[in-house]
Amino acid sequence: MYHINKIFALAIIILLTGCSIGGEKKIKIFSVEKPREKLDYPMPTALQLEELKWIIITSENAQEVFAKLEAAGIDPVLFGVTDKDYQVLSRNFAQIRQKLQETNNLLKEYKKYYEPEDKE
Amino acid sequence: MFSSIKMIFAVLLITSIAGAGMYVMKLRSDNAVLKANQHKLETAITEQNKVLEKQKEDFTAILESNKKLNVLINTFKKDLQDLDKRFTKKNRDIGKLAIDRTGAIERIINKGGVNAARCIELASGAEHTDAELKATLKSEINPECPALANPNYVPYQ
Repeated sequence: MYHINKIFALAIIILLTGCSIGGEKKIKIFSVEKPREKLDYPMPTALQLEELKWIIITSENAQEVFAKLEAAGIDPVLFGVTDKDYQVLSRNFAQIRQKLQETNNLLKEYKKYYEPEDKE
Repeated sequence: MFSSIKMIFAVLLITSIAGAGMYVMKLRSDNAVLKANQHKLETAITEQNKVLEKQKEDFTAILESNKKLNVLINTFKKDLQDLDKRFTKKNRDIGKLAIDRTGAIERIINKGGVNAARCIELASGAEHTDAELKATLKSEINPECPALANPNYVPYQ
């Protein structure tokens, strides 16, 4: 009887501690960052402007200019601006060009900041 | 009698051992939770450090970008002032000049128009030509937008 008790006690001890033999399993935690897809628009195509010709007409050369136009088969009509308006036109075009350059630069900077090439 | 005492003692012993075993198991389970928490905290700290590093890099990039844009906007102002100067330098009256020297002014205006058109092309993203890139002399540059067209040209002060 004494031996049976000993064996019983031993069996219970093994039963209770058996599950913990080998230690607890380690929990592995990892996170994977999935970057946002790139918009990747190509930069806008550069403009290719056509050349236009300015003709200066004064009261003295007007007849000659119109005669030349007619001789060249061009309608003898001109759309004119005064010297002051020519300056305004020049300034306006300069401002349009600057705005274009600024916008293009902003686009490049945004692209560089949000879509850097080295992370591709 | 003696055997009953032994029995009670054995039950007590077994209960104690079982209790101890359960306590050890609870401790192990607590330990596992604590380890997991510790790992989570360490991961969080590493991630936070990475975020801070990235933020630092971002701030530097933003500052640099702002600086570039400010330089560009100052260049714009200067370009417009230069354009005004060309029309009004030394009380110049372009209208009177056009009456006196019609042919010459027509040539100048047409050349200026071609240069201005090229400036617009470059502003829209066109590639520079070799000649534009190599231009370092005043006679070689595009006077309508030297900062844009001729990046290697340094104006005389």
